[in-house]
Amino acid sequence: MDAMTPQTRRTLEFVLDNLVWFMLLAVLVVFSAFVPNYFQPGIFANIIEASSVLGVMSIGLALVVIAGHMDLSVESVAALSAMAVGILFCSAGIGIGVDLQPEWLAVPVSLFIALGVGAAVGLLNGFLIVRWKVNAFIVTLASYIWVRGLVLALSGGRSAQDLAPAIRWFGTQRLGIDLPGFTFTVPLTAWLAILCFVVFSFIMAKTPFGRHLMMIGGNETATFRAGIKVNKLLIISFVMAGAIAGLAGWLLSIRTSGATANLGTGLLFNAFAAVVIGGVSLKGGVGALPGVYAGVLLLSSINTAINLMGLPATSTQVIHGLLVLAAVLLDTFKQTLRQKLA
Amino acid sequence: MKRLLLTVLGVIALAMAMLTPAVAQSKGKVYYLVPTLLDEFQTGSVSALETFLKQVGYDVQTLNADNKTDVQQSQMNDVIALKPAAIILAAVDFNALKPSIEAAMAAGIPVVEFDRQITSTPSAFTSVAGTIEIGYIAAEQAEKLLTAKYGSVKGKVLQILGDPGDPYTLDIQKGFEEKMAAFADVKIISLPAMLWEASNAGTIAADQLVANPDIDLIFSHAAHLSVAVVASLESAGKKPGDIMLMSSNGAPVGLDLIRKGWLNVEVEQPLYAQAAAVAAFMDKIVNKQEIKPGEYDIIGLNGVVTTEAWGPNIKLPGAAIDKSNVDDPKFWGNLKPPTDTVKAIE
Repeated sequence: MDAMTPQTRRTLEFVLDNLVWFMLLAVLVVFSAFVPNYFQPGIFANIIEASSVLGVMSIGLALVVIAGHMDLSVESVAALSAMAVGILFCSAGIGIGVDLQPEWLAVPVSLFIALGVGAAVGLLNGFLIVRWKVNAFIVTLASYIWVRGLVLALSGGRSAQDLAPAIRWFGTQRLGIDLPGFTFTVPLTAWLAILCFVVFSFIMAKTPFGRHLMMIGGNETATFRAGIKVNKLLIISFVMAGAIAGLAGWLLSIRTSGATANLGTGLLFNAFAAVVIGGVSLKGGVGALPGVYAGVLLLSSINTAINLMGLPATSTQVIHGLLVLAAVLLDTFKQTLRQKLA
Repeated sequence: MKRLLLTVLGVIALAMAMLTPAVAQSKGKVYYLVPTLLDEFQTGSVSALETFLKQVGYDVQTLNADNKTDVQQSQMNDVIALKPAAIILAAVDFNALKPSIEAAMAAGIPVVEFDRQITSTPSAFTSVAGTIEIGYIAAEQAEKLLTAKYGSVKGKVLQILGDPGDPYTLDIQKGFEEKMAAFADVKIISLPAMLWEASNAGTIAADQLVANPDIDLIFSHAAHLSVAVVASLESAGKKPGDIMLMSSNGAPVGLDLIRKGWLNVEVEQPLYAQAAAVAAFMDKIVNKQEIKPGEYDIIGLNGVVTTEAWGPNIKLPGAAIDKSNVDDPKFWGNLKPPTDTVKAIE
């Protein structure tokens, strides 16, 4: 390493910092070359669209993981928020079709409800973990179970369908490049997810709150001794994770135009995969949200490829599992390389 | 610490309060082991069985396996120890429950197979529409729809399965593809929606519509998957009728989609009749009397009882629902349970 020129060192550091983006690029090139019908704007738009719910959920999860904890309840919280929105604002199935005037009022009200439901569960999780010092794994695992149970109890196993058009508008309205012969548009829900990544990336990188969360994840005791209100920040991070999961639920209800009792099942493990692939350390204190978005896009790209190749669904899980393992190994390799560079 | 202890005790007390045992005078208690409560057919089956069995004098206790085979096996073991009048089983896994069924039957507890036929071991009674037969009916409807569009049976069909670990969806696929194999000009693309999760079905539809814009028909193995498919079609700017849609199980959301013009056909499982058949024969099942083969009127449907290697088996015909008959109250998706009381068959 001593013989390395500053230019080589800078290049190597850039590659290490953005490894997941390079992985994404490589995967897209390989799939475009070998999977029939993959290389077209419509498929890339689908990848972004399919990433919106998982992406938003991964942001909340990443916040608590960076702070050195974990939240297993995000999937169930998203389902509960989706069901709350579905029951109130769907007009078929178990939906009671609340009619607000003017119609657009349904958007902020439903969003507020989804965020509120998520924040409430997050507050309970945070309180038990921070104040009562109960293990985060246990508390959020319990929430994962009871919140899903609540979804079932509220719905009676039935579905809500036909979301209010004003809310559904975010799923049908597309924005992007629409030229003769070339169209690349994605629904507003996907733009919302991208906006969330931009905002939270800024918060994590440029605000004291983000930096303090990173410090807490790195060394909680040292951060406390530095005079930072660790407990308060941790509770806020759990509330934010819950609220963001609520937002993911709102997007999920838009994407499926309602809610079913099993909505969102399986998202938790994909969210963890995206966070790990995105370079967030499960030990806390390390990670950046743009990398998490790349991780989400990577998983979505693989799912889409499997959909188009017609492979058995079991392959999806095998590939996901191997990819997470590969990412963890790459992360270890990256850290070893960094130590040598230091 | 004291506060923590009090809270824990409070939570336990609340949980215990919710476990109110139902004690009533009746012909006996029947346990219904439902595979999951996360779909409308299954939740509908709980209320239908409870209603009809009550009419013939039995109490029903339902246990949910959350789609986990090992959980259902444990439930079987627990229920056998309670010595109920009978066990109604809608198996999570068609084969894995065989030893548990044999153990119950050996203990003198009759086991009734509901909705999901198990042919590898004898049971006291089986009431099914037939999952493979659902696939057959779906194939007949696909044949009609494609002929109406092209004048002959040809085109491209996207088949969205449920979870690939669920034999229920695999049987429907088997029946559907077996019948469709007769038509060489039909290309079927089959993809599973993992965990029966609706947004997975939506993603499959969105991807396939871009890769195969000439898809003529989408057949989803459950109505709630069709809801997400429709959402994807809407997002892609499609209107009702642009692509033909079909699904199976007859859930309320499927019937709503027919009314809105999105869904062409919903293949119904005759939930009410399946449940009523169990109730009608329950006295004979519990008293271990012979169930004779023949035709029986089950709340207006013609059920055919045959004696099979796995015991007496009643098969009730599924039905194709389209806009011409969607409001018929006999379909369980309209959520109008039959007003006629089920009578025990003498």
